[in-house]
Amino acid sequence: MNGVRVRDVEAHDIRVALHQVGYEQKAYWRNPMAAVFTFAFPIVFLVVVGSSAGSSRVPGYTLRYEQYVVVAMLTFGLIAACYTNLAMAVCTRRETGVLKRMRGTPIAIGSYMGGLIGSVLIVVAILTVIVVAIGMAFYHLHFPFHPGAVLVTLLVGIVTFCALGLAVTVIVPNADAAPAIVNGLYFPVVFISGVFYPLAQGSVLARIADWFPIFHMIRALVSAFEGGPGSGLQAGDLAVMLAWAAGALIVTARRFRWEPRRPKA
Amino acid sequence: MGPPDVAIAVRGLTKSYGSFAALRGIDLEVRRGEVLALLGPNGAGKTTAVEILEGYRARDGGEVSVLGFDPADRDRELRARVGIVLQECAVDPYLTVAEALAQRAYLYSAPRPVDEVVALVGLGEKAGSRVKVLSGGQQRRLDLGLALIGNPELIFLDEPTTGFDPSARREAWDVVRDLCAEGRTVVLTTHYMDEAQALADTVVVLAAGRIVAAGPPDTLGGRDHGVSTVRFVLPAGVAPADVPLPEGVVPEVRAGTVEFTVADPTRALHELTRWALGRGEVLAGLSVVRPSLEDVYLDLTGGQDT
Repeated sequence: MNGVRVRDVEAHDIRVALHQVGYEQKAYWRNPMAAVFTFAFPIVFLVVVGSSAGSSRVPGYTLRYEQYVVVAMLTFGLIAACYTNLAMAVCTRRETGVLKRMRGTPIAIGSYMGGLIGSVLIVVAILTVIVVAIGMAFYHLHFPFHPGAVLVTLLVGIVTFCALGLAVTVIVPNADAAPAIVNGLYFPVVFISGVFYPLAQGSVLARIADWFPIFHMIRALVSAFEGGPGSGLQAGDLAVMLAWAAGALIVTARRFRWEPRRPKA
Repeated sequence: MGPPDVAIAVRGLTKSYGSFAALRGIDLEVRRGEVLALLGPNGAGKTTAVEILEGYRARDGGEVSVLGFDPADRDRELRARVGIVLQECAVDPYLTVAEALAQRAYLYSAPRPVDEVVALVGLGEKAGSRVKVLSGGQQRRLDLGLALIGNPELIFLDEPTTGFDPSARREAWDVVRDLCAEGRTVVLTTHYMDEAQALADTVVVLAAGRIVAAGPPDTLGGRDHGVSTVRFVLPAGVAPADVPLPEGVVPEVRAGTVEFTVADPTRALHELTRWALGRGEVLAGLSVVRPSLEDVYLDLTGGQDT
């Protein structure tokens, strides 16, 4: 039986979700691979590239290159924590029967997913503090002028990339194929979206990247860090991300699989 | 549906995968406190049947009631009252045994204490070990512990002792007997005849999606009044034709051993032993064997592989 049905949420379900977060966190920090990918890569990249990025301004922005790299790496780490880790965890758990076993207990689906995503929230929060602290200490990144906008943008990013992480599991046939498909879909978009170097405005790449959520995430975050007028919120960018989130949630609700594909009997 | 002492009632259950009919009309009743064993070769439909009862698979037709619920509705109350041991189902490898049990216990309103369940399944020394370092047999014990932590009324065990060494199997059997003594209902699938013989009140044999036999293990397939096989070593200097046998019985002689089957072994043995004693002979290796559950099973399922 595929798909996800969410029923009424009760107080008990929320307590169970919080309880699950505790176990998800334990398991997360005991598994070095996922933690290393989420934390080490952005931090190492930040140290290596950030130190040579220089202090000239990024065209179209008021941020300097070295500051831009901090924001880009925050985005990269968030995607690793939400999209990549979540998709891998779900594919592995589906293949090994963890999800099937869970379906045989009285846990609400929302509590289980809430536990997974709550754990991701904690990871992103820690990552944000570390990356922003490095940026402020070494790369002249000022404390965001619009901290509320940073928070909202991060939350929209978490929703979007968690939803995409769940949705991508629909097309992953088995755990062996998961790394190739999960990364294969996302690396090209990362490369064209200005994560490793800012996009030239109006270029072909920028126009392609405009269709995908990563570029919008970076632009919205940069804007929230920059000291422009207004709230710092980029409604247009957030709308594009939320459109992706909505599409991903629809796919997930309809096609999510709890069990590995069975060979045809 | 069904009186209150019936835990599971199934009528006319059918299920197909594409053009393959996995279940072709199953009728089943499991009383409360009973241990029911589902036996059958691979592809007979055991797992399909059990997973429909567990709520994992949708049925095509028929009526199913589990503790008064339709499992297809996936009612939470039903899942709270049922414990399931699946085949090859992992636990998060980075949690410890005690953590995995405590995590699961939190989902139930009246769980059994973690320590008690750890001891029950014999994982006392491993309570603090991470799941990933457990042996295959220890993981199966944890599976059983996870199924029992919620204090279920009804327990499904899909091949619960596969991969156990003989002493671990005996211990697992004792656990199942204790569950039964506590008034819980157990439905198990197994490949092992001795397991069905040792545990089950009722054995149901499935073959090609149909029930081919059902009943207490001792009487299954007419075992209690089926033919018996008599064997003995032919004494030196005796021709097979000299041995007194019941009328119409044709003995087989292989490597000096005589073997024949007979419906009434009492009379045949009497004739045989009187003849031997009269000649002062000893009938070496004399044995009378009723068909084992395995023989009956192989007969019923057409000798397919288990």
